[in-house]
Amino acid sequence: MNMTIIAQMAVSGALMGMVYALIAYGFQLTYATSKSINFGQGELVMLSAFFSLTLLNLGAPYWLMVIGGLLFGAAMGLVVERACVRLALEQKSEGWILLTIIFGLLGFSAAENIWGRDDRPFPSPISSDALDFFGISITGLEIAVAVGVLAVMGVIELFKHKTLLGKAFAAVSADRDAAELMGISATKTIMLSYGLSGMVAAMAGILISPITTVGPTMASALILKAFSVAVVAGLDSGFGVVVIGICLGALESLTSFYLGSGWREAPGLLLLILALAVRPNGVFGKANIRKV
Amino acid sequence: MLQVENLHAGYGTSEVLTGTTLHVKQGSVVALIGANGAGKTTTMRAISGMIKPASGRVLLGGQPVQGLSASRIAKLGLAHSPEGRKVFGPLSVEDNLLLGAYNHLPMFFGFRGRAAEGLEKVYALFPRLKERRLQAAGTLSGGEQQMLAIGRALMANPKVILLDEPSMGLAPVIVQEVFNIIRRLKESGVTLLLVEQFAKSALEVADYAYVMERGRIAVEGTPAQLHQNERVIAAYLG
Ligand SMILES: Nc1ncnc2c1ncn2[C@@H]1O[C@H](COP(=O)(O)OP(=O)(O)OP(=O)(O)O)[C@@H](O)[C@H]1O
Ligand SMILES: [Mg+2]
Repeated sequence: MNMTIIAQMAVSGALMGMVYALIAYGFQLTYATSKSINFGQGELVMLSAFFSLTLLNLGAPYWLMVIGGLLFGAAMGLVVERACVRLALEQKSEGWILLTIIFGLLGFSAAENIWGRDDRPFPSPISSDALDFFGISITGLEIAVAVGVLAVMGVIELFKHKTLLGKAFAAVSADRDAAELMGISATKTIMLSYGLSGMVAAMAGILISPITTVGPTMASALILKAFSVAVVAGLDSGFGVVVIGICLGALESLTSFYLGSGWREAPGLLLLILALAVRPNGVFGKANIRKV
Repeated sequence: MLQVENLHAGYGTSEVLTGTTLHVKQGSVVALIGANGAGKTTTMRAISGMIKPASGRVLLGGQPVQGLSASRIAKLGLAHSPEGRKVFGPLSVEDNLLLGAYNHLPMFFGFRGRAAEGLEKVYALFPRLKERRLQAAGTLSGGEQQMLAIGRALMANPKVILLDEPSMGLAPVIVQEVFNIIRRLKESGVTLLLVEQFAKSALEVADYAYVMERGRIAVEGTPAQLHQNERVIAAYLG
């Protein structure tokens, strides 16, 4: 067994892991403003991918498909907020958990009925030819994944930390009532975070589809891992999800190589259990600052 | 500037305010005093829109605002520094202040420059906040958090400020400091409704005062008048 193969496995896995990170980041965005997440996020990834594929099949150019897909994701995020989350939060209930799960199930059957059960290829103008980096081959598609993930997360992180609206996100999360007293509309802020989260889900779908194909079940495995990444990294560190996502992706790929592909899901689940037992706030999570 | 007329409000089915009426003239400091549970905080919450009044009117600069959301009312020029301070713990002192001016600042870029003047004013009033401007607000002492809560309310440059028990939980020396600040705000022409447990000190700074009992205004008058009211002396100034 030589080092190059190990490195090859680790790198391919790590690139895959960046998609887990991006989906996990979508969880963080809504958690940051409302302490709620969309359990149907995986279906959002899948629906956006199908929608984008349809745009391509209708003859839309690639760049228009990307914009259209992102807008579709954002719109779906807003639908989730309005239909599943808003009333539950106003009544300070946990009803959003069940409602977002139901949204996911609905999305799944809608996709099966509209687009069918088959997996379909997703064309991309980016070449899938392998390039050679010190003996490790990486395809253009994989590079596009890495660049896309980092670009989207970078822009959103800048927005969160450098703009006043981004600080308003943090204020709503820290104390919703006090934020309202500053003139910040908590409802609008939460809407915006769901819109962004939907957009991030769509981006994940568009990036991963050329590698995996598009089908109703395409996100069911992805979402579990994204969830593990979010829990392990903590629900407030964007940097954390990237690091954990990369590690998990590499670990998975190496596990399936050495132990057989049946063990592929094991590292994610083990990591999840370990994290919940040892660091419930996440490896990168801040200990909660108690209110005085 | 602020008129509250026959306000009824409560939580769920229990009515706390049963017809509260009070007025705050422009540039005046009005004290609202009363026993624990009388409904002072509830009055402020109903004015600022944190709870919806069941009936009655709230006029801000002549404009009815009852029933609007808290963020709307804040945009119209009311700043409410709530009971228990409620600073944004994980955010820095300066970010807290910037968010106080949220309505006046651009949402994306250039907001620091636009806020610079307001920030300087607040830092001049509270030099301690300037020293700690990058510290997380949740790690400030109680007195510093109170200064931050007041500063954050000032940042909005509001028509009316509601201050709910700024002295709560503070050491006597610091309480005096807080009252000194209120005096300075008064001199600068701020319109203020002040809820206080320290009735004596509150009456020293106030132009006018209301005494609340079980959800209603029981007595009102200038501080001099209240100092002659035996019931008030016995209950609050003894
Ligand atoms: N969130 C709430 N839910 C239900 N009842 C409440 C709530 N907040 C206050 N109350 C009730 O409303 C009444 C008035 O409370 P309020 O906080 O307005 O009193 P207060 O005059 O501010 O008292 P204090 O001086 O102790 O701050 C009390 O009987 C209290 O129990
Ligand atoms: Mg009170």
